[in-house]
Amino acid sequence: MSYTLRGRADSRLAALLPVLLGACALAGALHRWWPVELVALMAAVGLALDLEVWHRLLPYQPAWAAVPLGAVELGALMAIVYGFGLQAPLLPALALFGAGWLTSLVLTQGGFPLLRLGYAEDGGELGQVGGVATAAVVLALAGSAATFVARLPPVVHLSAGVHRGPLVITRREVLQGEPGAVVRGGIVVAHDDVEIRNVTVVGGENGITVDGVRGTVLDRVTVQGAKLDGIHVRGAGVVVRNCTVDMLGNHLGQGIDISFNMGMGMSMVEGCTIVGGMVGITTHSSMTEIVRNRVSRTTGQAISVAEMSMGSAMDNEIRDALGVGLNCDDQSMCMFEHNTVVGTRPDRASGDPTRNGIGVLASFRSEADLWQNRLVGNRVATGAVTSSILRTTKKPGW
Amino acid sequence: MAARVAVVGSGLAGFTAYQTLRRALEPGEIAVFGTDADPAAAWRVRAAAIRQREMRSESDGHCLPTTFPGLAFGSVRRRRSLRPLLESALDRYHPTVGEFLSHVERLRERSGWDSSLVGRRVERVRAVDDGFELDGASFRHVLLAPGHPGLNVPEELRDDPRVVHAYQPHGYAPTVTVVGAGLAAATEWLNGLAAGAEVVSVRRREPVRSPLNVPRHYFSRRGLAGFYRLPAGERIERLRTLLAPSYPVGDQWDEPLERAACEGRFRIETAVNGSAQVICATGFRRGFAHDPLLARLVTEHDLETAGEWLVLDPDSTVPRLSDARRTLALAGAPAQWAFPGADTLAGARYAAHRFLRRVQSCPTH
Repeated sequence: MSYTLRGRADSRLAALLPVLLGACALAGALHRWWPVELVALMAAVGLALDLEVWHRLLPYQPAWAAVPLGAVELGALMAIVYGFGLQAPLLPALALFGAGWLTSLVLTQGGFPLLRLGYAEDGGELGQVGGVATAAVVLALAGSAATFVARLPPVVHLSAGVHRGPLVITRREVLQGEPGAVVRGGIVVAHDDVEIRNVTVVGGENGITVDGVRGTVLDRVTVQGAKLDGIHVRGAGVVVRNCTVDMLGNHLGQGIDISFNMGMGMSMVEGCTIVGGMVGITTHSSMTEIVRNRVSRTTGQAISVAEMSMGSAMDNEIRDALGVGLNCDDQSMCMFEHNTVVGTRPDRASGDPTRNGIGVLASFRSEADLWQNRLVGNRVATGAVTSSILRTTKKPGW
Repeated sequence: MAARVAVVGSGLAGFTAYQTLRRALEPGEIAVFGTDADPAAAWRVRAAAIRQREMRSESDGHCLPTTFPGLAFGSVRRRRSLRPLLESALDRYHPTVGEFLSHVERLRERSGWDSSLVGRRVERVRAVDDGFELDGASFRHVLLAPGHPGLNVPEELRDDPRVVHAYQPHGYAPTVTVVGAGLAAATEWLNGLAAGAEVVSVRRREPVRSPLNVPRHYFSRRGLAGFYRLPAGERIERLRTLLAPSYPVGDQWDEPLERAACEGRFRIETAVNGSAQVICATGFRRGFAHDPLLARLVTEHDLETAGEWLVLDPDSTVPRLSDARRTLALAGAPAQWAFPGADTLAGARYAAHRFLRRVQSCPTH
């Protein structure tokens, strides 16, 4: 096939139209924007390559060229996706691209020639159909973008100063704290897709409670003086980034507790600083990534992946914990990579040999894989008890 | 039902046009003028004469109105193998002559071709109000597909008793000279060698090696746009370059020739020597002037010509005789001014598509 430039654009956009409609449906079903973003990016990458590369290089394009050209386009697409931090899951994104590629192949090799006499002679141009397809793609993208903007959650600005809590959020919104904004008495998240940014919470039973909702993001929140947990998550999917939780003086509370959310997909705690409390970060029956946090001066365990959890702790820094630093407990499967555990002290008062200042502990039928952890100044570097396994691996990951 | 559209010529170009017209018209609305009911009759004889086994064209070298599905799909079914499809993706699939002829036969049966056939030769096309008169019968839209105007034998060889044209049935003498450098000549080199003859190739130029008759981008608007922009003189030169004799690259051609050359059974010379047989693989006479119907049309209507070609619009129509009410179009070799690869099945389809558009755009057909 010898495409004209317009033929390339017509064929590409017309072939992309069914994929775009599918992506719109998928976006609606998932309440996520990435499928439409990805298809828009596929169109942009494809058209740019058509214009700048393929049209110049290929006066004639044999059918087999669809394979290497598709591979190049996929590479460019994924580079942009990851380069610009588009939140698209890898396998579904690949599947969507594959569907687009296959649709294009079938339509350009069979569908369009059947539908339009002279498709090949016209260099892939589709005449009015091409114009309609282009307009439809633009409309679909514009409509999706408009829908996305219209559905953006409202931003509620919390002014500087102290606000009386507990503050209960019962709608989809972004709570944006101005510098110096403080909520006294805690915040309860009671709706899906709530984002809280730059807010300091003082006191409350729990500092921030997230219960039974999806899509919560806590970004740059500070919690002080909570009676129980700093951030308390139950049956909910959360991303906690760059938080500060001060639990000093609270010997029974937990900095961040994420529990019973296996059905909510992966949660994440990243870049937080937690000081004091019985446990710094703990998960129960959860799939949570715990990454690049600093946890210190805890009295139970610094980080604990427990109760049939499946989780990873990577690049965390744990200092001056009493009893246990990193803990994999109660039939959990843990991956501990590249963490630093320094100065874990023995809890002599407990009389419990499993709290004898152990840097990394696996207990009660748990399995923990270790890779390149730095364990310094702990009374005991590692330990595995009650039918548990601690493995040092040669490569990262499970 | 009175026929309103006429196709003059019942060969493969006319047949391909007929298949396209059938997308919009009933057999009774189309009159096909020709002397042979078998659209492949002339081609079949020529293919048999040079012992052709495979088509030079690829999967889309067929008579259907759309390029898809091509002949490779049918081969998948018949051969029970995906290999034809894979070869087609690699541009290496060539249907056999048998497969192509069966395809023509099937289409002939199911398209109503025989019922549209008017078994006579048209001697004269005359423009009249709102149409054309073909030996007395009037039609609003006419497609001329008269085929090649005869076999070409070089002037200096016409009276030589040793001469036979490659496209005429023939055997092989112990010493054979093949004149020409195209696909038929290359086929005859191999045929002669296979028959045990000593073969001499006489040619004026080194053969061009090309998979198809013309470069692939000349089969689409991409290559044609630049071609149409050329001034008449350059366009004539370009056509002569594009239509120079050629045959495909491949070991199946080169290895037997190299082997025979080593054995002293194949050599190249510049002039016909003392071989017992001279095969002229020199194709067809070229130009409208050799076709009585076209020559008369040009003369009577004072049509524009360029070199040996009749000047056509890009949609393969005769500019002076086509307007909103009527169409006179050409298909096959005489349409090369509009489509350099007109002398191919894809070229015939090109002219047919444009002819159908004009027929459909005319409110009364």
